[in-house]
Amino acid sequence: MSTEKILSSDGLPLEVSLRKAERRNKIKALLLVAPLFFFILIIYVFPIGEMLFRSIDDRKITGMLPKTFKTMENWDAKELPGEPVYAALYEDLSYLKETKTYGKIIARLNYEKSGFSSLIKKTVRKINKFEEGNYKEQFIEVHKKWGQMAYMGALKRAAPKWTFAKYLKGVDLKYDPEGEIVQVPEDRRIHKILWMRTLNVALWVTIFCFVLAYPIAHLLATLPMKYSNLLMICVLLPFWTSLLVRTSSWMVLLQQQGPINDLIVMLGIASDDNRPELMYNVIGTFVAMTQILLPFMVLPIYSVMKTISPSLMRAGKSLGGTPLVAFYKVYFPLTVPGIGAGCLLVFILSIGYYITPALVGGASGTLISNTIAYHMKSSLDWAFASALGAMLLIGVLTVYWIYNKLVGIDNIKLG
Amino acid sequence: MKKISKILLVLSFALSITTSAFAVTVASWGGAYTESQKLGYGDPTAKKLGIPVNWVDYTGGLSEIKAQVEAGAITWDIIDVYAKDTIIGCDEGIFVEFDFDKDFAPAPDGTPASEDFFTSMPSKCAVGNILYAWNYAYNNETIGKKKPKTAKDFFNTKKFPGKRAIYKGAMSSIELATVGALKVNPGKGNGKVWAALEKEGGVDKAIAAIKKLCTDPNGGCVFWNAGAQPPELLANGEVVMATGWNGRFFNAQMEGTPIVQVWDGQILDYEYFAMVKGGPGDADGSTMKVLREMTSTEGLAGSAKYIAYAPWRKSSIAVMLAGEPWFKDGKTNMVPHMPTAPANTKKYMLMNPNFWADNQDEIKEKWEAMKAGL
Repeated sequence: MSTEKILSSDGLPLEVSLRKAERRNKIKALLLVAPLFFFILIIYVFPIGEMLFRSIDDRKITGMLPKTFKTMENWDAKELPGEPVYAALYEDLSYLKETKTYGKIIARLNYEKSGFSSLIKKTVRKINKFEEGNYKEQFIEVHKKWGQMAYMGALKRAAPKWTFAKYLKGVDLKYDPEGEIVQVPEDRRIHKILWMRTLNVALWVTIFCFVLAYPIAHLLATLPMKYSNLLMICVLLPFWTSLLVRTSSWMVLLQQQGPINDLIVMLGIASDDNRPELMYNVIGTFVAMTQILLPFMVLPIYSVMKTISPSLMRAGKSLGGTPLVAFYKVYFPLTVPGIGAGCLLVFILSIGYYITPALVGGASGTLISNTIAYHMKSSLDWAFASALGAMLLIGVLTVYWIYNKLVGIDNIKLG
Repeated sequence: MKKISKILLVLSFALSITTSAFAVTVASWGGAYTESQKLGYGDPTAKKLGIPVNWVDYTGGLSEIKAQVEAGAITWDIIDVYAKDTIIGCDEGIFVEFDFDKDFAPAPDGTPASEDFFTSMPSKCAVGNILYAWNYAYNNETIGKKKPKTAKDFFNTKKFPGKRAIYKGAMSSIELATVGALKVNPGKGNGKVWAALEKEGGVDKAIAAIKKLCTDPNGGCVFWNAGAQPPELLANGEVVMATGWNGRFFNAQMEGTPIVQVWDGQILDYEYFAMVKGGPGDADGSTMKVLREMTSTEGLAGSAKYIAYAPWRKSSIAVMLAGEPWFKDGKTNMVPHMPTAPANTKKYMLMNPNFWADNQDEIKEKWEAMKAGL
């Protein structure tokens, strides 16, 4: 065999010239992808990353009460701290008052323990009148809360720069003064309930959507064009209507004096003075959310069914299967990629839903995303909101992972 | 990373700017309320000063303005906020602190602004614009012969069986429970109700009273979200009584719905303007000029032409009295519909924003836990 190198027309070895051409193509390809890549980086990865970062970042307050936290390091949090801690607190607060920046610690400390807001304000108002020495007594004189372990312990808990406390709070746990993880008092355990409720709603809505969507998709795929187009418009029309309009229409339909109840009374299923409650409970949530999310289930299943040749079912039957067996053995497995896509889509969308449940779900309409919205907008506890958001994200990724293990993510088809 | 995300926020806000240069932008709640502000004092002020006043809608809370401030791209000059938001915003350094009597116009008779306003401000960053009431109402046609008259009647399911609509949050609901079920006398805006709530177990008792009402087979609750819902729920017979905002009930009455409002134990609550530090019109003083004009005696009286919320200034009420019938339809006397009218303030509470700034998170958790157990 000749070892002589093959040269290309411009005199370079073929290998080199090939590599060159390949590299050029690679750069071209990268350049083509670059806009999308940067778009995703800038619009999704950075802002979401920055937001999630807030859930563990607690450096702001650490920097604002440096002396207090330093002296607190030696305090075992078993009983009230001694004079040095209060003296340091006095120095820190005086400085914050001078620079007029004490407002920033108020909100942060009030998240830790309700009542800190007025406590700090009252103290700061009177701090100029403090005399030197005996700070502990003076603090407690301004407000008896300074002499309570609940407040001093909360102050110590705010010291670390990085904290997972928000994640613990998301599952109704907290650090006690000794630093052990314990459950919050029973009348405040709400987040676990909300998590379970959110999962429950998402699961049932997905099931209802699947049960309703499968026959519709089948009809869409098998009817003659003339009828299937009409049906398709019926599926898509609500899709193009505003979410709020659809939710309020359901409120009109489902109310106790509404048309559906009128019909039930007319048919004699229930008496007029004992009309069933179809709204302001989970029934309302399930009905309205199923209708709103139905197209997300119909469309992927339909587009997969469309590609299944009708001759396959015929073949199944001619090989001796009853229609049921042919459906079960041949048709259904072929639609699984569409079902997977639809279920994943509906489940993920409904896990983050909150306007519809809040409007038609009554007392049961508060889901975890309502709480996120509340902490984003109302209490401004963005750290907790982003911790809950991160937990929701992890939940969704887990579902995705389970799906990948069970069905395989390559086996998903949107069309 | 922080810097890049800042630039991003700036970019996204730059794209969302809808205001023209040199105009003063006011963010408010939208709907009939913003309409009353725009027609009542926004447009007259713009005309008088030659500074355009733009109105944008927002859904409350400080998250948007906080994001604008953190990004260094502030587009709003003035925000219409709740009392507790003026406190939080002032603490966070988002809002400008006022020198009240210097910054705001005295009454026509020379009374300084601080005395002309109904009561003192919850923070140095607030100037009041309207007072509204959380009261309750019933449907006159479905209630039967006996009519509810007091806050206690709201909790009396024997005399008035049927479902009640209450606000989805704890705010206003636990106050009403304290007066109506736990029988604390609110007097004329004395602080007893919040003192009772601040006592050990006070909030728990109030929440338990609501739970009792909601689980009562003769009672039951529907929780409302949006201000438009209570009159709706009453009109179509879903509930026999509903708490709500007096302006919404008034509007429904004007449209002919047979609703009657009960003022006993109403919670008088406030809306404020706050001025954003470093907003577009802050440096050249145009925001301050606009704010001074809008909160003048004439300005505040103007908005009551269009909605049943009371102006903050006592002198504005005098202007309205002199100009009756003040409502835009030209035949309805407005002063009796004001939440501050003598007949409506025989027994009332004054909203305590400091209580809510202190305790809102803890109470919210307890409240939601109660709702979850219904």
